[in-house]
Amino acid sequence: MAIAEKLAEFRKIADNPKTQLEHYKSKGMKAVGVMPYFAPEELVFAAGMFPAGMWGSNTKSISRAKEYCASFYCSLVQLDLEMLLDGTMDGLDAVITPTCCDTLRPNSQNIKVAMKNKMKVIFLAHPQNRFPECGVKYTESCYKKIRAELDEVSGHKTTDEEIQNAIKVYNRSRAARREFVKLAGAHPEAVSAVMRSGVLKASYFMLKDEYADKLEALNAELKALPASDWKGVRIVTSGIICDNPTLLKILDDNKCAIVADDVAQETRSFRCDAPEDDADPIHALAIQFRNQDYDILLYDKFSSQNRRGEYVAKMCKDNHADGLILFMQQFCDPEEMEYPYLKKALDAAGIPHIRLGIDHQMRDFGQAQTAIQAFADVLD
Amino acid sequence: MNTLYTMGIDIGSTASKCVILKDGKEIVSKSLVSVGAGTSGPSRAIAEVLENGGLKREDMAFVLATGYGRNSLEIADKQMSELSCHAHGAHFLFPNVHTVIDIGGQDAKVLHVGDDGNLVNFVMNDKCAAGTGRFLDVMARVLEVDVGDLAGLGAKSQVQVEISSTCTVFAESEVISQLAKGTDRCDIIDGIHRSVAGRVGGLARRVGVQPDVVMTGGVARNCGVLHALEKELNTEIQTSPLAQYNGALGAALFAFEKCR
Ligand code: SF4
Repeated sequence: MAIAEKLAEFRKIADNPKTQLEHYKSKGMKAVGVMPYFAPEELVFAAGMFPAGMWGSNTKSISRAKEYCASFYCSLVQLDLEMLLDGTMDGLDAVITPTCCDTLRPNSQNIKVAMKNKMKVIFLAHPQNRFPECGVKYTESCYKKIRAELDEVSGHKTTDEEIQNAIKVYNRSRAARREFVKLAGAHPEAVSAVMRSGVLKASYFMLKDEYADKLEALNAELKALPASDWKGVRIVTSGIICDNPTLLKILDDNKCAIVADDVAQETRSFRCDAPEDDADPIHALAIQFRNQDYDILLYDKFSSQNRRGEYVAKMCKDNHADGLILFMQQFCDPEEMEYPYLKKALDAAGIPHIRLGIDHQMRDFGQAQTAIQAFADVLD
Repeated sequence: MNTLYTMGIDIGSTASKCVILKDGKEIVSKSLVSVGAGTSGPSRAIAEVLENGGLKREDMAFVLATGYGRNSLEIADKQMSELSCHAHGAHFLFPNVHTVIDIGGQDAKVLHVGDDGNLVNFVMNDKCAAGTGRFLDVMARVLEVDVGDLAGLGAKSQVQVEISSTCTVFAESEVISQLAKGTDRCDIIDGIHRSVAGRVGGLARRVGVQPDVVMTGGVARNCGVLHALEKELNTEIQTSPLAQYNGALGAALFAFEKCR
């Protein structure tokens, strides 16, 4: 199959999460919604259930969720609740609600109240201090609790071996995504920003073994392409999420290739593998969480050194990016508070950047188009 | 060498502007129609600018469109973002410009312009009407005055009144409650000007304010806002009667560069 067809398949999956949910349900599988960030999805897979990623929606508007949410909640969180309320996610048997930020935390309780008779709501509070041994122990205890709750949902006691197998599958799918990001950056003519997003987003709506097979096949074809001589500009994207095809098409129209990303829904979610040689797979998953780094959502006791900002600046340099575009989710505190540090590091490294405020409910991107076009002119 | 005419068209959200340049140096014709994207404004402005100059479309070596409605213009050979065009236009009018503060109908932007007139860096307002021409329109309506009279009335202010700069809707209700309290209209208008200046001044500080500073866009005609911004940023700000044509002028200059 040609590359374009493979890309289109991923794009279609990314655009139809409900169809995917129904597909797995029709096979008799149970399904568990997984909200951002850092949930040990491996446990859902190990329990033989379908983990359905929940990253808002680019087609829905917030209405029922307003009954529960303060107006300053980000659209991602509000739309996740909206989809639980309006029946879109009716096929779910449970939902995992991590609590990495001040919006997710109260919203986990909104979901609990709203879903009380509908599905099991599994609460997850990662430790603030993930590095010391006690932090790892704490993560382990959270994950053990989740394992037990998932067992209740699936009606099957998951074995260590099943979790170890899930870790292997997930590591494989993460490696394939990391490789794809590199290949997409190396071949922007073949992989547009719209398609790149489709491929990465589809991972949230497929079983990861099927996904890894499919992506490895695509990667093999991309690897066989002759070297590209891209004449457009090279950018790094940053932010929580930038998956709106209309917005991404503006990048394509202005010959902006995404050569790497610092996006929570993309690279930040598959940067870190879990050890495969650990006899205790729950410990392995806790170690994986401990090893996550350079993320605005994770506590960094050396934050005054601006390690994260410098890490992103270095990512731009290493990938020979001309500039960075920050897609800032509207009213996201962690992102807003982090911005001055990121700006400082980018300025110090001489990397131009622009910041665009986005929201899942935006349908018109006139201002973003102007800004991106001008930015591309400046960089060219 | 033959004379080279180029046309720049700036289709904004609330006005359509055209400029025809001769040899990239001399403005031979300009037009302005007070309706923008999605209306008859663009075609009327084009017809007018050609007529004013006694020229035809065929006489144009290159037509370049910019502004919010730039993509839907068939007559143009190319389109460019208004940020690049504004930088170029301002450099033509003010060769020493390094900062352009442009307040249009629906957005506000601050540009850092290089010595060569090219755009170096920029910031735009968030998705909010506060600090834009729209904000002034809404306030003028509430105060039952013509938006063109705001500057003159604001200059008569005696007492300082604070109007918040965070949100048009909040500010509107603040203005209404000030009116209800019997606050002098001129004082309220002055407060509104300072509110816009506060909002846009914050934006300007993000890119850094380097002299010379120039103000363009429709709101530049309101000297109340301009003086409030001078105070806010503690710097002299220049403008020109041609400031409203700045985007179209920059587009015509780029058009000239394209055919050279
Ligand atoms: S981190 Fe930001 S975007 Fe993500 S859930 Fe929290 S507030 Fe929303």
